Amino acid sequence: MAVAAAIACRLLRLHAAGAGGHWRRLRGAGLPRGFLQPASAGEDAAQWRRVAHFTFQPDPEPLEYGQTQKMNLFQAVTSALDNSLAKDPTAVIFGEDVAFGGVFRCTVGLRDKYGKDRVFNTPLCEQGIVGFGIGIAVTGATAIAEIQFADYIFPAFDQIVNEAAKYRYRSGDLFNCGSLTIRAPWGCVGHGAVYHSQSPEAFFAHCPGIKVVVPRSPFQAKGLLLSCIEDKNPCIFFEPKILYRAAVEQVPVEPYNIPLSQAEVIQEGSDVTLVAWGTQVHVIREVASMAQEKLGVSCEVIDLRTIIPWDVDTVCKSVIKTGRLLVSHEAPLTGGFASEISSTVQSEAKLEKETGSSDSWLICGPLTR
Amino acid sequence: MAVVTAAARVLGSSRGLGQDGLLLLRRLGVRGLAISHPQRQQQHFSSLDDKPQFPGASAEFIDKLEFIQPNVISGIPIYRVMDRQGQIINPSEDPNLPQEKVLKFYKSMTLLNTMDRILYESQRQGRISFYMTNYGEEGTHVGSAAALDNTDLVFGQYREAGVLMYRDYPLELFMAQCYGNVSDLGKGRQMPVHYGCKERHFVTISSPLATQIPQGEDALPGPAVGAAYAAKRANANRVVICYFGEGAASEGDAHAGFNFAATLECPIIFFCRNNGYAISTPTSEQYRGDGIAARGPGYGIMSIRVDGNDVFAVYNATKEARRRAVAENQPFLIEAMTYRIGHHSTSDDSSAYRSVDEVNYWDKQDHPISRLRHYLQSRGWWDDEQEKDWRKQSRKKVMEAFEQAERKPKPNFSLLFSDVYQEMPAQLRKQQESLARHLQTYGEHYPLDHFEK
Repeated sequence: MAVAAAIACRLLRLHAAGAGGHWRRLRGAGLPRGFLQPASAGEDAAQWRRVAHFTFQPDPEPLEYGQTQKMNLFQAVTSALDNSLAKDPTAVIFGEDVAFGGVFRCTVGLRDKYGKDRVFNTPLCEQGIVGFGIGIAVTGATAIAEIQFADYIFPAFDQIVNEAAKYRYRSGDLFNCGSLTIRAPWGCVGHGAVYHSQSPEAFFAHCPGIKVVVPRSPFQAKGLLLSCIEDKNPCIFFEPKILYRAAVEQVPVEPYNIPLSQAEVIQEGSDVTLVAWGTQVHVIREVASMAQEKLGVSCEVIDLRTIIPWDVDTVCKSVIKTGRLLVSHEAPLTGGFASEISSTVQSEAKLEKETGSSDSWLICGPLTR
Repeated sequence: MAVVTAAARVLGSSRGLGQDGLLLLRRLGVRGLAISHPQRQQQHFSSLDDKPQFPGASAEFIDKLEFIQPNVISGIPIYRVMDRQGQIINPSEDPNLPQEKVLKFYKSMTLLNTMDRILYESQRQGRISFYMTNYGEEGTHVGSAAALDNTDLVFGQYREAGVLMYRDYPLELFMAQCYGNVSDLGKGRQMPVHYGCKERHFVTISSPLATQIPQGEDALPGPAVGAAYAAKRANANRVVICYFGEGAASEGDAHAGFNFAATLECPIIFFCRNNGYAISTPTSEQYRGDGIAARGPGYGIMSIRVDGNDVFAVYNATKEARRRAVAENQPFLIEAMTYRIGHHSTSDDSSAYRSVDEVNYWDKQDHPISRLRHYLQSRGWWDDEQEKDWRKQSRKKVMEAFEQAERKPKPNFSLLFSDVYQEMPAQLRKQQESLARHLQTYGEHYPLDHFEK
C-alpha cells in the first residue's frame, strides 16, 4: 500500500513536472526510468486518453477574500491546514506519513512550522488513527486526521459510524467529538485500480451524525475544508486525488469559509438538472456544453458539495423548474448516492405532495421504553 | 537509533536497555525513538563493523537457532498486599490510608453491591429493560478510582460503575439512566448502565450490549489514547484511564490503542479487568498467551499484573502508574485479575457454561468486599453492628432512589431528534415534525402518558 502510494506519487509528479513549485526529493529507492515515462507518447495512448478524460474548469478568481495565489488542490489543502494550525493552538494533524509532507504533499512544511507535537506520524492503523482523533476531539482540541487513501478508511468504519457519529447523541450532549475532521484522497486517478480509486461516500451517507464533503476545485477545497475543521460535528473531507495537481486556480491566501450543506448551482439551465460532486462536476460541465451545442438542451449544473446532510431544497427547486434530473458519480451504481437523491427528489419535488406515510428517520436508533 | 546502539554498547546490555539505559537516554534528551527525524537515522558504519545495524531492532546477533518460548505455565506474578483473609502480607506495601478513606472504599463497594442487587431484581420484574451487575469486581473499580485525581478522564467499558460510585455520582442519576427517565443526563437514549458524567470526568459508556449483536464491545483505547495525547499537549497534569475486559482486549482497537499510546508517548493507564469470562467465553478461548499483562512489553509499555480483589494492591499499582504516566508521558498497563461472580447481564444465565461451585468459591473465599471488611475489622474500624446498620441504611437509600426514579416520566419524544448533529439539519426537523403530526392522529396507540409533554 505504501509502495503503491509512492509509485502514485512519482507518476503524478512526472505528469505535472512542468507545473513548477518546490520539489523535495522523495527519499527511498528510485524506480527504473522506463517505468516512469509519461504515457502521453504515441497515438494509441492519445486515443486511450480521449476516451476517459476530464478537463478541469477553474472558477473565476474570487475577489472578496483578499489576496489570492495560484494554487493546485493539494496546495490549497496545505493552505487551509496552515491557516487552521495558526489560528487554533489546539489543532493537530496526524496520520501515516504526514510528517515528511504526506504522500500527496498536503502537509509539506507544516511540521517544521508548527512542531512535531502538532504534525506527526502515527503507526499504520486506520482504526487507531480515527479512534485517536476522536479522543483528541472529546477533550475539545481540534483533530485533523489523514487517511492515506479513502480505500483504506474501512478499518475505521466502526470508529466513525459507531463512535464518532453517535458520540453526542448517545451521551445526551454531555460529550462530543465535533472538532474531528478526517481527510482522505478520493476517487479515480486513472491508474489507481481497485484500491487507490474508490469513492466510498455512499457508505457514510447512511450514517447520521457525521458530515461528508467533496470539493471540485482548489478554491472550493480550502473553503470547505476550513468549514469542516471549524464545524462542530465530525466531518469526512474527501479530496479528489486526480485534482491534486491537475486543478490549478487562484485561491485566497487568508482563511475563508464555504458553507456546508449548501449545493451550488454553477450553471443555470431550463431543460434538465445535472448533479455531481468532486471530479465528476467537470465531466458534467462538459456534458452540459455538449448537450447545448449538439442537442440544444439547456442544462442546469449543480455541484452538491456536501453529501450529508445534503441540500435537498436546492436540488428539488431545480428539478421542479427543469422537470428532469440526472445524477452522475464515479462510485458504483447500486446503492450509490444518486439513488438517495433521486428517491428523495421524487418524493419531495412532487407538485401535489402527500404528507406522512413511510418515513424512516435520520436518527441513530435510540432506546425508547 | 544511533543513540540507542551507543547506549547499549556503553551499558553492555544485550536484551534492551533496562533502567540505566532509559536514564542515559533521558540525559541525552532522546524521548521516543519512533519519532526521530529521518536524517538522524543515518549512521556512519563500515562493513568491518559486525554489530547489527537494522533500524527496526536494538539487539545482538545470535548464532544458535532458538525460538522464544511463550511462558504461560508461570506467568507474570500477581502483586498483592492483603491475603485472602484481609491481612497485610508485607507491611511496607500497606498504603496506610486513613480510616476515613478506607471506609469510603468499603461503603462505595457495598453501596454498589446493594444497588446491583436491587436493579438486577427490578429488571427481573420488568421495571427496567436490562442490567449488568459488578459482583466480584468492586475492588478493581474503587481501588483504581481512589488512586486517581478527580479530574482524570475515565473511559469505561460497561462494568465500572464503582468508579462513578466512588466519585459520588448520586444514586438518583444511576437510576435515572437505568430507567431512561426525564432526569437521565443521557436523555433516555441508551440501554441501562450506559452512564456518563461530564462533571465527574466519566465519558459516557458506549458499546452495543444487546446479546444478539455479535459485534461485542467497542474497546475504547483509541479515543482514550487521543484524550491522553491532548491532555499531554495541554500540560494538564492529567492522566486518562481506560478500562476494558480481557475479552475486549482481543479487539483490534486494543492493539491500536496500545501501539499509539506507546509511540505517541501518552499519559494513559490501560486497566484491564481480567475476570475470567467474556459472556460465556473463558480465557482459555480468548487468548493463548500469558494474559494481557504480557502483551504490554511487546508494545514497549510498562506493565503489571495485580490481584484485582485486593483493593490496596489495585490502589498502589494505579497510584504509582498515575504518578509515572504523568511525570514521564508514557502509558502503563495494569491487568487486574478478578472474577465475574454475576452473570454477564440480565440476558445471560451463566449456569449454562460454568459450575455453581466455581462461582461460590469466589463469592465466599476471595471477595474484595469481605477481604476489605476483615482488614477494617482487624484495625478496629468496623464491626458487626456497624455492618448491620450500614446494610439497612444503604438498602434504604437505594430503595428510595429507585422508587423516585420509577415515578418520573420519560423524556419528551422530540428528544429523539436532537444532538444527532450540534445543530438540527432541515431534514431532521422535517422528520421531527412528521412524528409530531403522526402522534396527533394516532397518539392513542402510544403510551404518551409515560413521556414528558
